[in-house]
Amino acid sequence: MPRCQTTAVNEPSLIRCRIRHNGVVANRQIICATRYPATSADTDVRPVVVDEPGISETSVTDRPWIVLVWNDPINLMSYVTFVFQKLFGYNLEKATGLMLDVHHKGRAVVSSGPRERAEFDVYRLHEHGLWATMQKDSSS
Amino acid sequence: MGNHAKGLELVVGRRERGPIRAGRDGTYLLCIDSENRRALLQLLGELRDTLLEDSQVSDTSTDKLRRLFPTAYHDDPESDIEYQRLMRGELMASRLDSISVAGAALERTPDDDTLILTPHELDVFTRSINNLRLVLGTMLDVQEGEDFEEENDDPARHHYHLYSYLGWLLDWAVTAQTGVLQAD
Repeated sequence: MPRCQTTAVNEPSLIRCRIRHNGVVANRQIICATRYPATSADTDVRPVVVDEPGISETSVTDRPWIVLVWNDPINLMSYVTFVFQKLFGYNLEKATGLMLDVHHKGRAVVSSGPRERAEFDVYRLHEHGLWATMQKDSSS
Repeated sequence: MGNHAKGLELVVGRRERGPIRAGRDGTYLLCIDSENRRALLQLLGELRDTLLEDSQVSDTSTDKLRRLFPTAYHDDPESDIEYQRLMRGELMASRLDSISVAGAALERTPDDDTLILTPHELDVFTRSINNLRLVLGTMLDVQEGEDFEEENDDPARHHYHLYSYLGWLLDWAVTAQTGVLQAD
């Protein structure tokens, strides 16, 4: 049974996530409990349903996934830097460095982690108009 | 990446106090005149109609909206189809909600052309302005490092001017919110 806990999440929303149990991918509707850095104004505290594996369920260890942001000619440099700060809590120096990587190298890895987390990051970057994709981390 | 707010800066001049700035009580002040507010409202309405029209036609975006619904798995079409099936509706709803909240804020009638926005209202206003730029920039086929030189006989010159204006406004929206992020 899912349990409830109280945690701070940024813009909690019903997200359809892929849940893997015994290697089988199933689409489930849960409220993602990932904690995201946010401004104090965005932070909301409310119960969040999290999935708790049963005794018979085993988790499958995946290679980490990486989230890439790609260069595009439209988004402003200042806006891209701001979005990195806002969504990932990066300081100005790190956010600016990632933005410059996107601009000069064509892309930058902005986050990594389990597939569900990467999908959520991609969704939020898309929500902010950035061109983000995800893929397995070939370096691991 | 683009920096097309710069063009209009040359025309308008980077004022010490921009059209958007943080207030003292956590709110933001949006200072644009009624004519520009009406123009933004009209643009947001057109974007909403285009999104709704697109959602009724098919699951795939028309060309001018492709930047609003990008691929998530660029090297795995099967996973991308699945991702779009799950998330496209969420993204569409989010964009429409942002337009609705930003539009409602712009419809308020301030006494002195200064609208007071909550952090959420400025957040969705910022994203909606960026969405407009993405669609307009796609339609204009904006390229990296392209400088706009207005020519009187260019039929698209008004669109380029609008594109620059939106960039200018967006840049100020970011400046206002970045100051608050730094202070947190």
